[in-house]
Amino acid sequence: MGSFFTPLSWNDSGFILTGVMNTITISLVAIIAGTLLGLVVGFIRSEANKAANTALGAVLDILRSVPLIIQLILFTTYIGAMGHPLDPFVAGSIVLSLYTMAFMAEVFRGGFDSVHGSMITAARSLGMTYWQAVRYVQFPISLRAIFPSWLGVALSVIKDSALVSVIGYMELLRTSEQLISRTQQPLEILIGVGVFYFIISYPLSLYGKYVERKMAV
Amino acid sequence: MKLLRNLAIAAATVTALSSSLVQADQLDTVIKRGTLNCGVVLDFPPMGYFDSNNQPAGFDVDYCNDLAEVMGVKSNVINLTWGDRIPSLISGKTDVVVGSTSDTLERAKSVGFTYPYFVFKFQVFTKPGVAVSTFDDLKNVKVGAALGTTYETEYLAYAEKMGWGKSNYTSFKSENDAYLGLYQGKVDAIISTNTNIATKLQTNEFKGYVAGPYVPNYDDVVGLIAKRDEVAWINYLNLFLVHQIRDGKMNDHYNKHFGSDVPADLIQSLRDNK
Amino acid sequence: MNYEFHWNTVFQHMPEMLMGAFVTLHVSVLSMLIGIVLAVLLAIVKMNNIKPFSYLATTWVEIARNTPALFQIYMAYFGLGALGIHLSPYIAVLSALVFVNTGYLVETFRGGFQSIPATQYHASKSLGMNSFQVYRYVILPQMFRRIYHPMTNQFVWSILMSSLGILVGMNELSGETQRLQSLSFRTLEYFIVAACLYYLITKLVLFSAGLASKKLFKGEI
Repeated sequence: MGSFFTPLSWNDSGFILTGVMNTITISLVAIIAGTLLGLVVGFIRSEANKAANTALGAVLDILRSVPLIIQLILFTTYIGAMGHPLDPFVAGSIVLSLYTMAFMAEVFRGGFDSVHGSMITAARSLGMTYWQAVRYVQFPISLRAIFPSWLGVALSVIKDSALVSVIGYMELLRTSEQLISRTQQPLEILIGVGVFYFIISYPLSLYGKYVERKMAV
Repeated sequence: MKLLRNLAIAAATVTALSSSLVQADQLDTVIKRGTLNCGVVLDFPPMGYFDSNNQPAGFDVDYCNDLAEVMGVKSNVINLTWGDRIPSLISGKTDVVVGSTSDTLERAKSVGFTYPYFVFKFQVFTKPGVAVSTFDDLKNVKVGAALGTTYETEYLAYAEKMGWGKSNYTSFKSENDAYLGLYQGKVDAIISTNTNIATKLQTNEFKGYVAGPYVPNYDDVVGLIAKRDEVAWINYLNLFLVHQIRDGKMNDHYNKHFGSDVPADLIQSLRDNK
Repeated sequence: MNYEFHWNTVFQHMPEMLMGAFVTLHVSVLSMLIGIVLAVLLAIVKMNNIKPFSYLATTWVEIARNTPALFQIYMAYFGLGALGIHLSPYIAVLSALVFVNTGYLVETFRGGFQSIPATQYHASKSLGMNSFQVYRYVILPQMFRRIYHPMTNQFVWSILMSSLGILVGMNELSGETQRLQSLSFRTLEYFIVAACLYYLITKLVLFSAGLASKKLFKGEI
C-alpha cells in the first residue's frame, strides 16, 4: 500500500502542461467557431424580417439564460441518451461554441446595426451590388467598431472554458483539482492556476482598452 | 404451392433472426470495440485513487482491468465523480461503472444493478479532540459528507428524524473535498466509509484523527451498474463477479489494498445479498 | 430514442427544487446589492486617484476580471481554508460573486460617471443646487440610465454563475439538483427542470429590473 498523499513534484509538470494545452485548445476552438457562427447569426439578425428574428432571438436568449454548467450536463446526458455519446472534448467544444455564438451574435448584430442605412444606400447608388456593399462597406466599418466587445467575449470564453471540467475534460482546473486531491495543498496549486489565467487574460484586456481609447479619439 | 409457402416461412425466419442479430447488445459492442470503458470514482481510496504518477489505481480499477482481461479487450478507466456515474452510463461514455454504487430500489428504476461486489459500513471520522462516541453525539458538531452519496442521505434522514436541522451540515462536491474540508477544519466530523477511513488513518495527514461510531443499522451493499435494459451484459457482469470470488482474484485485490484476506462475513454478506 | 422519461420523481421533489431556486435568487440579489455599493466606492477612489486605495481598487478590478469565477469560488472556499479562514459554502459563493461583480461594475460606473459632461455639474450649481442635489437629481439618474443595460447583464451573470455553488456543495438550485438526481439517478429530467427554472429566474429578474427602472427613470431607458 502506497501513500495516498504525495507532495507536488517535477513529475507533475507534464501533467499540468497537458491541462494548460487542453484549456488553450478548447478555448481557441470555441472562440473561432463561436465567432464564425456569431458572425452569420448576427448578420441574419441584423438583416432578416421580424419573424425569423424572433425565432432566432429566442434560441439565443435561452443559451444566454441557462448556466453553462447546466447546458454542459444536459447536452452530454441528452446526446448520450439518444445513443450518440461524444467524448468530453467534442461535447465541450460544441456547447462552449454555441454559448460563445449566443454572445458573439449580439456583438456582431450591434456592429452591423451601427452602420447607417444611408451609407449602404450611398454604396448601392455608386453601383455596388448588395453583397458588395456588405463586403466593402458594412463589414469593414462594423468589424472595426466591435473589436473591443469581441475581445471581451473572447476573454470570457477562456475563463468559462474552466467549466468544461464538469463533463470530464482534463483542462487546467480539473488537472489541478486532481493534484489538490493528491497533495492536500490547495493554496499553492490554486494560486498557480490563477496566475496562469491572469497572464493570458490581462495583456489581452489591456490591448482591448488601448484599442478602445484609440477609437474614441 | 406448399414449397413456396415453406420458402416464405424460411425467408421470414431468416429475416427475423438476422434482424435480431443486427441488434448488437452492450456485450457485443464492447468486444467489437476492443476497449472496455470502465467508470471508476477515483477520489475514493482504496477503491479508486490516483497514484503519485497521476495514474488510476485501486480495488475498483483492478476490477476494471480484470474484466477487460477476461473479455479480451483493452481497459480504459474513466474518472468519475459520484454525480457523474449515471450520466456517464446513460450518455454511453462508460459501459459499466465500478463505483461503489448503493443498490437502492429507487435507483434500480433508472439503472441496472449487478450482484453486490462489496459491502461497506458508514462511519464517522472526526478530528482530534472532538468527542463522538455514539452517532447521537453528532448533534452538536459540524458534520460533512460528499454530495449525493448514500451516507449523506442517511445522515440527513437521521438528522431530520432527531430534529437536528440542517444548519450543522455541509455538503462537499466529492469525497476528497470532504476529507480536505475535515483536514482544513471546515467541519469537525465527516461521514465516509470504513474502508476509506482506514486508509486515511495510515497517512501522516490524518494522524490522531479518530474513526468513530458507525451509522446505525446500515450496511451499504454496492453493485456494479450498467444500462438497465442491457440484461445480457448485466448477466455477464454477474458471472464475472462470481468468478472474482471463486478464482481468488477478489482475495488478491483485498490483500493488496486492505492488507488482509477478505473477511468471511464480507463474503457471506455478498452471498446473502445476491 | 430509447430513453423513458420519469417525471413523477421530479414533481415529488419540486418543493426542494424551488427552495434551491430561492437560494439562487437570494445569493445573486445580495451579491449584486453589495457589489453596487462597493463598486461605487471603488469607482470614486479610482477616478479621484486616492492613494493607496486606488492601487487596491486597480488590483481588485484586474484580478476579478482576468480569472475564472470557478477559480475564485475555489479560492474562497479551499484556498482561504488552507489559511484557516473558513467560510460556509453560501458565504464563499457570495463573496466570490461580490468580488467579481464589484470588479466589473467599477469599470461600468466609471464609464457612466465620465459620460456625463462636467458642464452639467456647473450648470446645476449655478441654478442654486447644492452638491448632493446635483448628484441626486442630475448626475445619478442620468448615469444609472446609461449603465442600466450593463448592470442588468451583470445581474443575469450573477445568477448564472451562482450555479457554480454546485462545486462547493452549496444548496442552491444546481447543488440541490445534483443531490436530488443522485437519489433516483434521473439526471436528464432533473437538469431539464433546473434549466427551465434558471430561465424563469433570469426573466423574473429582468422583468423586475424593468419595472424598477420605469419607476426610477420615469420610463426612459
